[in-house]
Amino acid sequence: MAQFPYGASAAVMAGLAVASGAYLAMRRTQQQAADLRLWTFAKPHADAYRKMLPDFLRKHPNKRVDIQVVAGEAVTSRLQAAFWSNLDVPDLVEVEISWAGSFFRGRLESIGFRDLTERIHQSGLWQRVVQARFAPYSTRGRIFGIPHDVHPVMLAYRRDLVERLRIDVDRLRTWDEFAEVGRRVTVPGKRFMMELPPSGISSLEVMLFQRGGGYFDANGRCIMDNEIAVETLKYYVPLVAGKYRIGTDLGGGQIFTRALEDGYYLFMVAPDWRTKVIEQDVPKVGGRMALMPLPAFYPGGRRTSTWGGTMIGITKRCADPDLAWELIMHLYFNKEALAEQFRNTNILPPARDMWDHPAYDEPRPFWSNQPLGRLYARLAPDTPPQYTSPYIGLAKAKLTEALIACVQYYDRYGARGFDGFVQQQLKRSADEVRRQMRRNPYLDETA
Amino acid sequence: MRPHSPTAKPITAKATPRRRPPRGDKLAPYLFVAPFLILFLVFGAYPLLKSVVLAFYITSGPRDQVFVGLENFRFLFSDPDFWKAVRNTAVYTFWSLALQVPLGLGLAILLNSRWVKGREFFRLAFFSPNLVGQVFVGVLFSVLFVPQYGLVNRFLHATLGLPLDTRWLAEPQLVMPALVMTSLWMYVGMHMVYFLAGLQAVERELYEAAMIDGANSWAQFWHVTLPGIRHVLIFVVLISTIGSFQLFELPWVMLGRSPGPDGAGLTIVMYLYINGYVAGDLGYASAVGWTLALGLLVISLMQLRLSGAWKG
Repeated sequence: MAQFPYGASAAVMAGLAVASGAYLAMRRTQQQAADLRLWTFAKPHADAYRKMLPDFLRKHPNKRVDIQVVAGEAVTSRLQAAFWSNLDVPDLVEVEISWAGSFFRGRLESIGFRDLTERIHQSGLWQRVVQARFAPYSTRGRIFGIPHDVHPVMLAYRRDLVERLRIDVDRLRTWDEFAEVGRRVTVPGKRFMMELPPSGISSLEVMLFQRGGGYFDANGRCIMDNEIAVETLKYYVPLVAGKYRIGTDLGGGQIFTRALEDGYYLFMVAPDWRTKVIEQDVPKVGGRMALMPLPAFYPGGRRTSTWGGTMIGITKRCADPDLAWELIMHLYFNKEALAEQFRNTNILPPARDMWDHPAYDEPRPFWSNQPLGRLYARLAPDTPPQYTSPYIGLAKAKLTEALIACVQYYDRYGARGFDGFVQQQLKRSADEVRRQMRRNPYLDETA
Repeated sequence: MRPHSPTAKPITAKATPRRRPPRGDKLAPYLFVAPFLILFLVFGAYPLLKSVVLAFYITSGPRDQVFVGLENFRFLFSDPDFWKAVRNTAVYTFWSLALQVPLGLGLAILLNSRWVKGREFFRLAFFSPNLVGQVFVGVLFSVLFVPQYGLVNRFLHATLGLPLDTRWLAEPQLVMPALVMTSLWMYVGMHMVYFLAGLQAVERELYEAAMIDGANSWAQFWHVTLPGIRHVLIFVVLISTIGSFQLFELPWVMLGRSPGPDGAGLTIVMYLYINGYVAGDLGYASAVGWTLALGLLVISLMQLRLSGAWKG
């Protein structure tokens, strides 16, 4: 070292640089070793898949499958970056429904996922799965993802409080009946009939889908200012604004826990996945909760809607798409394993032929011994489609803007001129979305 | 000019003959600079130049690019969301400067005076919010601002009788005050440290001379302290402005990874992120980025000119 002309420190630094560089270059990473690499954003999914993996590997003893949890939003940004750079792309990825559209922005041949349309039809999945669930994962008539779930929606409620207030849930068949009772029992600041956000669109979306509306139609055209949307917003706003409001929200997580324990809300929108969240986050109300179908907008109307979802897709970088497809079939359509998964997650699988398993009829003590699976399975075939677009994020933001403007208007002026205002706000929001869409040269293939 | 020391050797015109350094010695500096230079060129200069080019394209990943000339800039300046982001960022910057700088200076003066006991502890206490990142602070304050059960509402209810269900992060008109309050908590200590350093450099003799001339505390502050820390003040205002215009993580975390109700928390960098990484148009995001960079350059130059920093 004494011979090194620039001193000992420089020699040590140079040595470290060479050694660490050589180590990194020669390291054989786990991902390179796996035959299939699957990314999911949900730890419960990963846990369930790891339990199901040994059976799959018994059929393919020479293969290695690596399941990685990539947290929340990172899965989308990392995947987008991976697609763009064509580096570190996994073979299979689970994508949350609200992000799926962002991958369908470019030309069809540039989409990072494989087109699964033919496989879905040839394998009979098109008939087996609730077809509405393919809608969010399709663009320009091609399907790029297999749905993980149906996520039908019911209303969850504090049965003990509802009984004490002498509310007969069997008589809450329409939203009008529901709102009427709500106005009787709501005490602003202390108790609300329902958790309904005045500045967020989660419940408004549920109602919009329930009525057959949405942001985009099957051809990707923006429809968020059509008559259904106008009527839904006109109906929703007086539920959360003005003197006779029956709903509000405080937030999620621990705040939701506390609010539900305190009886701040009596009813809340509950897709299947949320029932598990309630079980885990608010154990104190166990045995005092129950479920009922959504009230309809008119007698005999649809009693459910949808909230949330996940797809799995095979990327174009996947070297063995047949093996990847086989893995999807194993993880998503294995009756026994899915029944067990349902017991752990409360998530109903999308294939109808899975629902005759006894697991879906088991009474759940937390839910006043109601057969949770059967309640959701009964409603699942009626789940409405929700079509997507690369502009779904923008559309949601614009709908939120319209909602807030309408809530503020209603708080200030009440029903006077309200109908016209709603129409005008939605039109403005939809025009903004259309203006952005017109800039996209790749969506010309649409419609 | 200082006289030469009597022992110093006079400089002679006689120069020693130049010797050519060995070949290895000539190359060595370049070899040592090379790692930085390579990294800078690959990860700094190239992306910068590439983003200039990208700003003239509509993109969807690297394979789908369509040249659109100035269309991205035309759309940007006609997009109401961009102007909302500019307005929000400007309002945030104004209130941040208006509150953080005087409060930071006030705290520094307070903690610079000898009669305050436990000065070191308070300096650390005020500075400590800086030791945690914006993400941590965002999570913390999103809990504090919760309606009904949050500490902020509980405190305001107990002291001023304000309603418990004030929705700080869900009402458009309350989002900005919540963000300004949060950043005040986070950054006032940092400004205090800069000002403390400036105050300690002001010579005590100047105060003594001012007192002899009959200057009261206010006159001392105005005519001695402020001119004494002028350069620090300019620096603090400049970095606060630049930092405020780059605001992103704090509202992104506090508002649940969204621009908040009615876009009330939408900042320019958030607008850039949403267009680049959510909508997937890196070309448009590049146009936003360069517009922001040029805007910041103009604002900084204006600030420097107005403050007379170039006059020395």
